[in-house]
Amino acid sequence: MFPKLDPILHSELRLAVMSILAGVDEADFTYLKKQTQATSGNLSVQIDKLTAAGYITVEKGFKGKMPRTTCRITPEGLEAFRKYIDALKEYIST
Amino acid sequence: MTANESLAIITETLNNNRKEIVRNSGKFFMMWGILLAVFSLLVYFLWKTTGKAAWNNLWFGLPLIGFALSYLIKSREATVRAENFISRVNGGIWSAFGVFACSVALFCLLFGLLGKDNALAVIIVSVSLTPLIVLIFGLAETISGVVLKNWVIKIAGWITGIGGVAIYFITGAEKEQMLIFTFAGIVLAVTGLIVKYQYK
Repeated sequence: MFPKLDPILHSELRLAVMSILAGVDEADFTYLKKQTQATSGNLSVQIDKLTAAGYITVEKGFKGKMPRTTCRITPEGLEAFRKYIDALKEYIST
Repeated sequence: MTANESLAIITETLNNNRKEIVRNSGKFFMMWGILLAVFSLLVYFLWKTTGKAAWNNLWFGLPLIGFALSYLIKSREATVRAENFISRVNGGIWSAFGVFACSVALFCLLFGLLGKDNALAVIIVSVSLTPLIVLIFGLAETISGVVLKNWVIKIAGWITGIGGVAIYFITGAEKEQMLIFTFAGIVLAVTGLIVKYQYK
């Protein structure tokens, strides 16, 4: 029987955000927007969902006079991402 | 979304992230390369016109200006460039090179102050710094290329290290040896430019 894919991660944009954050220490909203080519509104919604799931943390601050939103993956998020990839491997290998 | 599509998203995102980090390093290669070329030409002309090798002390200003410019570039960026293990290792390689180059130069400078009567000072000062520094410079650049998985940087590092030493044996130990660093700076700046456009 195939393992269940995490519904939080099994979405195109959320998966892209998690893939970026899994490979870096932190990334700000503008960087995520550029890398995912998503709209600000859609990205905000998906970031909120990942935050609510405890997969990422969001820190709002300033860089000079400009507001900045910085995202980081949590240990729970990293673990969920790892499990998601393991599940994908099982799907693909069979 | 199928499992293959999910995997494709993960692979593409990771690749894009890596490209962004390599592309960003290109900017700093350009900045340090231009700075190196400018400093070497400045020392060369001052040494040539005054005949004083003491102008070599200007080299100690290079890391100060370089780090100040790096800070300025980073602080003026609109977005945070994502930092990860690769970018930290790359920064570490060049910091290690800077520490080695400055330490060796400082060591020779201090022993040089002991004067010609001191036998140890004569031996240490007679060590040619230029081929040594240009060789570790090329090595640092090649290791950078290995870490960033970029052939242009790997080859440029080899050209700088080996080419720089070869030029030294052609030009000799006089003021003309400064042009080796001009060569190294130009190679570094051009490498940065290529890398920047490679991943545009």
